[in-house]
Amino acid sequence: MQDCLLRVAENGDRRAFAELYAYFAPRVKGFLMRGGASPEEAEDLAQDAMVKVLRKAKLFDPAKASASTWIFTIARNARIDAIRRASRGALDPDEPALMPEESPRADHICELNDQSARIKKAVGSLPPEQLEVMRLHFYEDEPHSVIAERLDLPLGTVKSRLRLAFEKVRKEIGDLS
Amino acid sequence: MRVVNHHPKTETLADFSAGRLDEARSVVIATHVATCAQCSQAVSGFEALGGLCLEEVAPVAMASDALEKILARADAGANIVAPHHDSSARLEKQLPLSAYLEGSLDDVNWRRVAPGMSQSVIEAQGYREGVLRLLKIAPGTRMPKHTHEGEELTLILRGAYEDEIGEFSVGDLADLGDKHTHSPKAIGDEPCICLIATAAPLNFKTLTGKLVQPFIGL
Repeated sequence: MQDCLLRVAENGDRRAFAELYAYFAPRVKGFLMRGGASPEEAEDLAQDAMVKVLRKAKLFDPAKASASTWIFTIARNARIDAIRRASRGALDPDEPALMPEESPRADHICELNDQSARIKKAVGSLPPEQLEVMRLHFYEDEPHSVIAERLDLPLGTVKSRLRLAFEKVRKEIGDLS
Repeated sequence: MRVVNHHPKTETLADFSAGRLDEARSVVIATHVATCAQCSQAVSGFEALGGLCLEEVAPVAMASDALEKILARADAGANIVAPHHDSSARLEKQLPLSAYLEGSLDDVNWRRVAPGMSQSVIEAQGYREGVLRLLKIAPGTRMPKHTHEGEELTLILRGAYEDEIGEFSVGDLADLGDKHTHSPKAIGDEPCICLIATAAPLNFKTLTGKLVQPFIGL
């Protein structure tokens, strides 16, 4: 997938983009629907996100993020933009992104494949109950109180499980530097 | 490079990375992260986690004409180039905060709210509820003791203050949870200017605080 994205960045290769689209667009749509978007909203937002992927491909830096991480941030920002647009009624398309997509820290780039592998390993080794709340946290746009209700757990338990899970993942990241 | 001693909590960075923070708090965190290597790295890690979640989610079929529409829309617009990052030392010049300010902190239209304290509210409530404002505290002024009912993020843009936790100077971020009580005092020679995102109104402890609260407007 990374090669496809790089080919799109290099010369706007439409076949490479079609491959990227086939893999990522349905996942972005699925991701947004898990976050509470209706099928129509998720379709529109996934299309928005894929337009951005195509137009911003040149900004993708494989030394900083994997293709899926980069597309996750685009989809996340597209969702935030949509919420802001809905509540403000208008959006300047040139408005600087709320979250900088460019990290100013060139000196801290670590070996990315290694990072992904270690994060994956850290996530894989989390106890199932921590994994469950962490997944809900990332997928679903629900307050922690709703997650607690759904899992039939006290709010404090959800918060402490999340904290433990995040600390563990963060430690993996920290150990790389 | 300045030394940053106080950082957001790990949970706050995770919320930010997942796109779960309101706009006001996102601006504060993003501005801190733009200049803090350690937090920037943590955010990258959490985003990588988001990427893994994206890979694992069950795909849902797109509309049959979606690819065609996407290509047509991409052709219609110009390709986006990298946003310009001002590398000047002033923290307020950093994106995303600079996009919310007209000019520099010297051009802010301050409104006096109490002796030694003035503020300026920034319009940033389009994405969920949250109040974003700048607060300027004259050197030596101590704010009344107050308790926060909700989460509050404070990023120091100029000067410094001290409270029960310690000393906060430029680039430091105070990530205060619910029910936290403190009374910050501006220290040093220049006014302390903070960027504050409050998720809920402040709750002042003392009578003076109660009197001041309506004027601060929170």
